[in-house]
Amino acid sequence: MKSTKFTKFTEKEADAKWWEIGNYFRRNSIWMLMYCTGCGAIELPPAMTSAYDMERLGMGPMATPRQADVLLVTGYLSVKTLRRIIYTYEQMSEPKYVVGFGSCTINGGVYFDSYAVINRLDYYIPVDVYVAGCMPNTEAILNGFVDLMGMMKNKTANGWVKYHENYEWYKANQIQAVGEVHVHDEFHE
Amino acid sequence: MMNSMNNVEEIIAAVEANFDLLSSDVIDKYQVGLDVNKNEIHRLLIFLKTNGWIQLSYLTAVDWIEENEFELVYIVFNWDKAVHIQIRTRIERDVEKASIETIMPIYPGCKYYEREVHEFFGIKFPGNPDYHKQLILEQFDDLPPLRKDFDPLAYAERKFPKRDYPDKFTNLEGKESEQAKRDVTHERVSKLRTGGTKK
Repeated sequence: MKSTKFTKFTEKEADAKWWEIGNYFRRNSIWMLMYCTGCGAIELPPAMTSAYDMERLGMGPMATPRQADVLLVTGYLSVKTLRRIIYTYEQMSEPKYVVGFGSCTINGGVYFDSYAVINRLDYYIPVDVYVAGCMPNTEAILNGFVDLMGMMKNKTANGWVKYHENYEWYKANQIQAVGEVHVHDEFHE
Repeated sequence: MMNSMNNVEEIIAAVEANFDLLSSDVIDKYQVGLDVNKNEIHRLLIFLKTNGWIQLSYLTAVDWIEENEFELVYIVFNWDKAVHIQIRTRIERDVEKASIETIMPIYPGCKYYEREVHEFFGIKFPGNPDYHKQLILEQFDDLPPLRKDFDPLAYAERKFPKRDYPDKFTNLEGKESEQAKRDVTHERVSKLRTGGTKK
């Protein structure tokens, strides 16, 4: 007769199991929030439509940051858009992931000497996957998403945990770049 | 019946009859440029507006640093004749003295163009209530960026931290570099390869 005795999970183990289950569903239904700042956005229509059909990976667009899993930063970021990026990132519910497209998010790309464009995105918000290139092609972008799914499986896509742990550092960098993180709008104030 | 070239020449003749025209150039049959003095800008714009050039397409400036002058360029457009007219004028380049009266009473839409020009060149527009307000750049604390004596690289280095690359080759997660191994392979392969010709 089979023993009915089993060792009870500790709370931590049970938590880890639930995270594993959650991650399984999460990585197979990634909803993207596309912040189309630069030219990178042009690679998304072929990735989403029938040519490469992102939907087969369970990925789809999402209109609001509250329901999105992954934030796509598709290109260069001026100080003005960085402020909105930080706003959007902080509105997303956890766990949240960031994919940076193109060389502009890595080191400034061709805008390395611009007076308006920041040079590295991971100085301000944590980035899980970079897709290098100027522009990366659509295959590279889909490869980046598959990498992100693998990282979610291996529990290495923990940028949002790092954001919690190093919140002071990120906040100091953000304040150094954009002053207060608040969107002033002279037309509605 | 008049063709468009006639129109352009008629425009120049009409302006020459009424204003002190410094120079003019015909870019093509749809574009004409007029250089006038600073103090005639407003009269000329009123004249053109009453003759059908009702839309201010653009207002910008050019920094001629060697001549120590700013050139203001007003581009107006006529919806019936399809002719763009550029009205150009030169003003002083000095940070304090660079200023010109607003054209808001003539073309109210210039409000934001003037703010933009002030932000990027530092030209003042007395008469425009908001010209000094920030419009596009945020957290900017240097010379106006489109002046030729502004150094964008120095500004970027001061404000935006760079990513530093300690070595020419970076390795994932601190693994040992395999570049030496790759070099050996590459050398062997290039020895074998003859490029399709017999040695």
